Amino acid sequence: MTREQILRLYLDDDKLIDEGYLREGEGNQAAWSDHLNNKMVTVIKDAIEGVVGGESQALMTRKINKYLDRNL
Amino acid sequence: MIIESIEINNFMCYSGNNRFDFTEGMNVIIGDNGYGKSKLYDAFYWAMYDQCFDTNEKQWKSTRFLGKALISDKAITESEDGLIRTSVRMTLKDTDKDRQYIVERILKAEKREGEVIPDNESIQEITFRKISGMTGKLITNPEEIERIKRKVLPENIRPYMWFQGEQVESIIDFGESDSLSRAINVLSNISRFDEVKIVADAWAKSVGEQYHRKVKALSTDRDKSDKLEVNRNEIVARIGLLENDIKQCKENLGYAEEEADKLVNKQEDATRIRELDVSRKSLEKQLEEIEEELRYERIDLHKKMFTNRWVLKGSEGLVKLFNEKYGNYQDEKLSKRAEAKAKSDAENKVLKELQTRLPINVPEPVFVEKMLDQGKCLVCDREAKEGSEAWNSIKQLLDRTQEVSQGGEEKDQIINDFESDFRRLSQHGYAMEQDIGRIDENIVKTFTRLDRLDKKRRSTRDQLDTVQKEISNLVTESSINPERARHLLSELLANNDHALRFRGNLTRFEVELERKQKELEKIDKDLGELISEDLPSWLEEKKKLLLDFKEIAHSTRDRVFKKLVKQLEDEANNHYHEMMQGNLSAKGIIKLVESTKGNYMPRLVDQNENPLMQLNTGNIILIKLATIMAIISARQGSRDTDLYTLITDAPMSVFGEDYTIGFCKTVSKVYRQSIIMSKEFYKNEALRRQLLNDTDINLGKVYMITPSISENERSNRNSLQTLIKALN
Repeated sequence: MTREQILRLYLDDDKLIDEGYLREGEGNQAAWSDHLNNKMVTVIKDAIEGVVGGESQALMTRKINKYLDRNL
Repeated sequence: MIIESIEINNFMCYSGNNRFDFTEGMNVIIGDNGYGKSKLYDAFYWAMYDQCFDTNEKQWKSTRFLGKALISDKAITESEDGLIRTSVRMTLKDTDKDRQYIVERILKAEKREGEVIPDNESIQEITFRKISGMTGKLITNPEEIERIKRKVLPENIRPYMWFQGEQVESIIDFGESDSLSRAINVLSNISRFDEVKIVADAWAKSVGEQYHRKVKALSTDRDKSDKLEVNRNEIVARIGLLENDIKQCKENLGYAEEEADKLVNKQEDATRIRELDVSRKSLEKQLEEIEEELRYERIDLHKKMFTNRWVLKGSEGLVKLFNEKYGNYQDEKLSKRAEAKAKSDAENKVLKELQTRLPINVPEPVFVEKMLDQGKCLVCDREAKEGSEAWNSIKQLLDRTQEVSQGGEEKDQIINDFESDFRRLSQHGYAMEQDIGRIDENIVKTFTRLDRLDKKRRSTRDQLDTVQKEISNLVTESSINPERARHLLSELLANNDHALRFRGNLTRFEVELERKQKELEKIDKDLGELISEDLPSWLEEKKKLLLDFKEIAHSTRDRVFKKLVKQLEDEANNHYHEMMQGNLSAKGIIKLVESTKGNYMPRLVDQNENPLMQLNTGNIILIKLATIMAIISARQGSRDTDLYTLITDAPMSVFGEDYTIGFCKTVSKVYRQSIIMSKEFYKNEALRRQLLNDTDINLGKVYMITPSISENERSNRNSLQTLIKALN
């Protein structure tokens, strides 16, 4: 299963639309390489990237904190 | 990556140089039992992992323990002193990536004066080359070798791709509730979603702590805030404990429910085993009694030689003969007696005559002899010259005495008279004659009784064997021994009690958790009210984002897993029904049933989802194979490196010929390449023709293997060679 296939499965979650992170149909078309400027999508992508790349949990937590603290 | 060929040299029954080429699709190696199919499987396994499966001891053994057994007997017999080389070389190729790997394992042995001494360790060599190129590179670095081997077949996938028929049972063990979940985890990508879930939990926790630190820092009433903080910490700690308790309780409940479920399923078998065990014990007792009786009868048989006078059998003539002889004896005795009487009478007459002149022994013989010597009668003092009438008259006196003494000896003979003994014997003989007449009848009666007892013994033993066999089959199928069967009911009750207790605890913990969470919310609200200014919006947003991500990670994992299970269920049913095509028996539907613990187990149910009980081993194996194939199908195409070859020895032996073609169609559809060793196509030529001609089967190469020597000469393996014939 590719990272993109995994990402699409996450983006298929109703909560993303319910909470306004994505618009209807937007998740189906998302590609891994797309830069959506969507923080939730980035969070999901970072988690997938870290897991697929075998990164440690501490490193992933540091990275996400750094990203969110800078960009929010 | 597919296996292009395997070259086997002097390995087990493959003496000399042997080669099998393979293509994509289903490659089949056909051979009867003992023809070398399992040895071919061993060759693959040995080349890769330095191990062969010992079917007797049901365990894997390495070269160190197999030693000489790896080398062909023919090679040992025929080679002269010096080096014997055993090797298996497997060539794999990945056309898409223009790669070829040659995995070779070599065992060297030395023959010295007829004695073969193999090396303790084998050598593994891997050569890599570009298919388009000419030169190869020998890989010697052990880490690199292991990396390539993992690429050929990852460790966790191996049990599902390379297995022997008898191992199918253990791939998905119905006795272990998490074995299917484990297989799903290994063969699907669900573990990625589990890992993301863990990451999401860690991030949510991290942002929660960050948020809380900020709230505390902005507090206007430090004392109140500290007090609330103490309370909060206690509640958080309690929530932590409760969450653990709930988790533990769910696990225990799941375990108790699974156990109870297993026990309920086993209850029928256990009851039957228990009944059979009672019957076995009763039969054992009966058999013991019969054997005791039989033993007594056999011992008594020897006694009867004397007590029932069987020893006299055939002696009817002896009694008659004895009586005849006894009659003769009596007659002879009577005649002797008469003779003796006549003689005695005659003597008496002479004596009578002599009595008129002189009594016997008068004069005494010593004087008579003196008179004869002197030629003179000492009574009348007259001359009696030798030879004269007077001398002869004197001599007559002496002779008379001798004759009388001889008559006395005859009297002595009469003293040693056996008449009475002989008479008694004769009388006994008459009595025994009656008994002897009845011996045959008595023997027949005794042997009829013995025969009846023996038949009874055999019949009881047969019944006992049948019962024991039934118990043994039930024990094998259900894994319940008679001892366990006895305790099963009480265990079932105990498990139900446990489940009830765990359920009660779970409800209690969940109620308390809900209460504590509300308390925590209130404290957080109180703490929030103590802050002097608004919390930074970025932190609020971060908190919401990561908590939402946590929810999404959890729900996505559950959704994906449920979808996967449904997909597996559909796929498993497709494979199962495809494999069942050749059989008209009730098929049922495979249902992956979720337990409280979240594990899934394949069950066969009817259209109304009622479980189908009493499945035979073949059914169970088909369900397992269908489920494994479903997982493989689900995984297929997800990653280009996921293309592994299925190698299996005798997978069809357990479910019979009805399912063979269906199995082949399914296998050839699911696996890009498979290598199947089978005996089903050996004897059944129609089935073989079907295999070779059925267009629904994506067929690779088909080989027939046979031993070079006939069945009755197989005990001598010194000239054994395996003949390989390509059938397509």
